Amino acid sequence: MSLEEPEPDAPAPVEEQSPDELAELLGDQVIGREEHLNAPGYVIRPDAVQDVLSTLKNEAGYDHLSCVTAQEYEDRYESIYHLKKFDDPTQEVSVVVPADRENPVSESAEPVFRTADWHEREAYDLVGIDYDDHPDLRRILLPESWQGHPLAKDYDQDRPQVVPLRENANPLQEDHRGEDDTDTMFLNIGPHHPATHGVLHLKTTLDGEQVADVESDIGYLHRCEEQICQNGTYRHQIMPYPDRWDYISAGLLNEWAYARAAEDMADIEVPEYAQVIRTMGAELCRIAAHMLAVGTFALDVYGDFTAIFMYAIRDREKVQNILEDLTGQRLMFNYFRLGGVVWDLPEPREEFFEKTRDFLEDLPEALEEYHDLISGNEILQMRTIDTGVLPPEVAKSYGATGPVARGSGIDYDLRRDDPYGYYDELDWDVVTEDGCDNYSRLLVRLREVEESAKIIEQCIDLLEDWPEEDRTIQANVPRTLKPDDDTEIYRAVEGAKGELGIYMRSDGTDKPARFKIRSPCFSNLQTLPEMAEGEYVPDLVAALGSLDIVLGEVDR
Amino acid sequence: MTGAVPLQQGMLPDTIANLLGLNAYGVAGEIVAALLGAFLIANFLLINTAFAGPWAKRKITAAFTDRIAVNRIGPFGLFVIVADAVRLLSKELIVPDGADRPAWDLGPLLIPFSALLGFAVIPMGSGLQLADPETGLAFAFAASSIASLGLIMMGYASNNKYSLLGGLRAVASNIAYEIPLIVTGVSVVLFTGTLQMSAIVEAQQAAFISVAGVTIPQWFAFVNPFAFVLFVVANVAEVGRNPFDIPEAPTEIVAGYQTEYSSVYFVLIYLGEFIHIFLGGAIAATLFLGGPAGPGPAALGIVWFTAKIWAFFLFTQWLRSAVPRLRVDQFIEIGWKGMLVLAFANLVLTAVIVGVLA
Repeated sequence: MSLEEPEPDAPAPVEEQSPDELAELLGDQVIGREEHLNAPGYVIRPDAVQDVLSTLKNEAGYDHLSCVTAQEYEDRYESIYHLKKFDDPTQEVSVVVPADRENPVSESAEPVFRTADWHEREAYDLVGIDYDDHPDLRRILLPESWQGHPLAKDYDQDRPQVVPLRENANPLQEDHRGEDDTDTMFLNIGPHHPATHGVLHLKTTLDGEQVADVESDIGYLHRCEEQICQNGTYRHQIMPYPDRWDYISAGLLNEWAYARAAEDMADIEVPEYAQVIRTMGAELCRIAAHMLAVGTFALDVYGDFTAIFMYAIRDREKVQNILEDLTGQRLMFNYFRLGGVVWDLPEPREEFFEKTRDFLEDLPEALEEYHDLISGNEILQMRTIDTGVLPPEVAKSYGATGPVARGSGIDYDLRRDDPYGYYDELDWDVVTEDGCDNYSRLLVRLREVEESAKIIEQCIDLLEDWPEEDRTIQANVPRTLKPDDDTEIYRAVEGAKGELGIYMRSDGTDKPARFKIRSPCFSNLQTLPEMAEGEYVPDLVAALGSLDIVLGEVDR
Repeated sequence: MTGAVPLQQGMLPDTIANLLGLNAYGVAGEIVAALLGAFLIANFLLINTAFAGPWAKRKITAAFTDRIAVNRIGPFGLFVIVADAVRLLSKELIVPDGADRPAWDLGPLLIPFSALLGFAVIPMGSGLQLADPETGLAFAFAASSIASLGLIMMGYASNNKYSLLGGLRAVASNIAYEIPLIVTGVSVVLFTGTLQMSAIVEAQQAAFISVAGVTIPQWFAFVNPFAFVLFVVANVAEVGRNPFDIPEAPTEIVAGYQTEYSSVYFVLIYLGEFIHIFLGGAIAATLFLGGPAGPGPAALGIVWFTAKIWAFFLFTQWLRSAVPRLRVDQFIEIGWKGMLVLAFANLVLTAVIVGVLA
């Protein structure tokens, strides 16, 4: 992998096409039309997935396979490919692929979008759809010996799953992989390893100290979040759970993902005042999350609990205190409500504003210190520049978003490109770096902290001057929400790690019939082999650190 | 052999023998005196290590990283040393399946042993030196290198891939940095013309320059600062501290060769590592910083010596808190392509200077 190869010219952005024009483009591969709240849906034949997706990708410019949702109906299985454009994510298309109830086989999209690999494995694992032509259709979250598909209708939850480890794998058994004459060593990195940031298991094949092959084994922290949400009511019971996906301070960002999807679904208008509070809270969370990301990345590269890690934690602590004042919680905020937030800023307001302003005032100096210690350090530059390279085209194919994509020069940020909250009223910039390496991703995060601080400052100014009689924190939302039957929506927000999307389908009750989480870490983690293969083990660790994954969000 | 070989004059065993009247007992008395001396020196180092490991390291790192660290038990948290000793020694000693037994047990013993052995020839001032052979410097380097053997034994015998990688890295780094270390040490020998430690210290007593009544002694760190910097860098690599802590590299290979060790063996390994840092500091102090020399009466030698080895320890902790670790290939490359070349350049330069001046 090197940057010297000339990259294929990015195709010129294609003009937005109307749903009818797209239908015409796809021709007789379309067997029906659906209307999702976020996008037109085209029902296609299960054996035409690759054709349709590559037509949409190459001729209509839909180059971002954001998410793959699978679900089971009474009469059929269904996979939905949620497509977007990196240039303009408001242009969306849903490709709906029905599969037979008795023999659910559907063509894989993996040859068109690499990201479909894991998404389809998850669909197979949890729902039970077979993807034809998939290179490696195995379970991904559950152990290989699991019986049944938990999100399928006929799944028996009461049936005990007695799965001894020896039925799955013997991690000690094989020492060598590949041909007999190769001199490689198989090494389990994780699930308990200082650098895997949680319970991630990397099956690594080493050639000397170089990584010949790496495969992520995830699912150790799978908590059935999607099913839990399907069992909760829209109005109150789902909101606490998003905090538990990306649990390192990104809580409000996650809550916003659900709030946005549910509010659009139920057509709830959020008061402007609440939007400003949401924007401010979300950016505070982003700073806290990026601080931890920078600190742990430094920990991975430095190798010890050094000054940088502790400084990052110290500054994150200040953000946490502000968030605690705002929400009453430090980790699981549960602060958003459909239609607004749960309560207004803490009284006395002046004290809160002052505290936040103090933090913002000290921040540039702290960032300067980080740049001195981290980005200005020559050894760190030696370690991180030109290692863990992720070319933009590869990143797009894997559906990488957030700082990972922006570190590869992809100018993509939902806060600006698909505006929500109060972001489009404020003055801030999207940060990108062109290095495509570990260093760029680090720089992006450090610079994004500055941008977040800019946003927070403007929010504080607005909130300070907000007339007292207009401080509506909550729209009028019915006690029980029952969206119309068969309403489907896919909405995403810019989480700390990237595009955090929620797909929901209603069935006329007060609980969603299908709740699907598009986790940015899940897609970002998929790029790890691209970055790490051929590099040394320390660079594998650095690349993993630069991805900034949270296993709670990867496994859900 | 009949009759005792007389103990070296002025050395610690000799002093002890005179004090206790052991000379009357011939060889047996000499052995007892030598053992008593070794016991004293070893305990002095172990006490230093006890302060350095559970207490000073925490305090120093905390100071670097905006924290407070141990402060609950005893004054300044000092009794944490006792608490930690009890805690560590009472843990279960877990022996991994398939460990290569004698080697697995010997490894952790070799490390403190080799480091302590090196101290046998170090002049610590105030008459504290066990022996002063003519080949003193060679002995000190040789003794400290025995640790590599222990590292690879531990790495291989643990039956763990991380340990194996750590052991191999340890050997690779020791080979890559031992040569520049010794070659730089030899440049000092060019000045002194002897490997005898006391003579090397002696050679640094003379005045180097006198400025406004302040006399700067002829410490080789002042005479040849370039060699001193080289030596310190190679020394940090030799004792395996950041940014050269490749063999342990907690975020990459868990804990390298010591992954599988717990309880007493864990303590022994850490003990060995800290004594090793002190030995590194001691050799650097002897070669470049005038050994126990310092202002005040000669009896204060041990105080200055202790201050110097602690200064080196402090330096390693500073690096630990502030400098990122190199990647293993960069580390080896710097050793073979950078340090080695510079070390030989320094040697040639020193030889020319000595030749011209002499």
